[in-house]
Amino acid sequence: MRGTSLAAGLVALAVVFLVVAVLYALGILQILVSDTHASHHYTHAVLFVGLAVASLVGANFARPKRTT
Amino acid sequence: MGLLQGATELFPVSSLGHAVLIPSLLHWKFKTSDPSFVPFLVLLHLGTAAALLIIYRQQWVAIIRGFFTAAFRGQIKTDSERLAMLLLVGTIPAGILGVFLEHSLKSLFANPKAAAGFLTINGFLMLGAEVLRRRAERRAAVEGKARVEQEESFGTAEHISFRAAVLVGAIQALALLPGISRSGVTIGGGLLAGLRHQEAARFSFLLATPIIAAAGLIEVPLLFSPSVPLGEYFAGAVLALGAAYLSARFLLRYFRSGRLDPYGWYCAAAGLASLVLLTFNS
Repeated sequence: MRGTSLAAGLVALAVVFLVVAVLYALGILQILVSDTHASHHYTHAVLFVGLAVASLVGANFARPKRTT
Repeated sequence: MGLLQGATELFPVSSLGHAVLIPSLLHWKFKTSDPSFVPFLVLLHLGTAAALLIIYRQQWVAIIRGFFTAAFRGQIKTDSERLAMLLLVGTIPAGILGVFLEHSLKSLFANPKAAAGFLTINGFLMLGAEVLRRRAERRAAVEGKARVEQEESFGTAEHISFRAAVLVGAIQALALLPGISRSGVTIGGGLLAGLRHQEAARFSFLLATPIIAAAGLIEVPLLFSPSVPLGEYFAGAVLALGAAYLSARFLLRYFRSGRLDPYGWYCAAAGLASLVLLTFNS
């Protein structure tokens, strides 16, 4: 049960990271960036895509495994 | 600059610190505040990353395969899979800190005195790591044994804990400060986590490769500006690759029985001497 909740939490976190990545890529999000006038922040977007992937990997590790 | 960067990147003596200090001390016509300076350094770093990929090509194939296998299975079964996941969790903190702090730290690149100060601190950090390591050797009762035997009583990179991998990854971000050596702090961190010197160096080099390559690839577009002498910069990157390859081969052999002490003393002395020279030259 604990594994399921943790996995669900990590999937939700991955979705948040993906949304943040898109917002940085489109230049809508301008938090903690070097140039606030730039229209795209691809470095930040790549970082958040990486974090989303890591969260999904973590979710897969956390989910309860079927025993054979 | 290519030879200097390639040689100093993997040696625990701070390539960035040397890249800021040496042109300043030798009055090279190299403006560290020039907009193309950081992309140039990044191109040199790409040469270094290529050298590491060549040295560890077989391990990287196993690590990438291990990553996908473990990620889809949701379980770690082999050493390669464990190493892949350790590198993933170790890369995350350095990536976050690097992306968010890089801009605020870029101003230090143009400050040779700050680089000299951090180089001195880097030296004392490595000496401190060796002091703690010697204590661990005393606790493990391997003090009187030959160095190679002493080293064998410590662990390999695949068996470091995930918490330690995160910490070693996080301290890697200290290398954003010119004068702090990425390999110096990560090898020191690896020693504190209970790794053999050679394994701490291997973990440090493996951990560095994705960060160096990613940072390089992101900055590469800046090089295609008309004011950038791309041919000269590319020649520098090739020299950096050669120097890094030879340095890594030397260090992996050296750390079979060698310690961080000589590099620690060198950094402390070079940092202090540079501080004195820069103060009197200005």
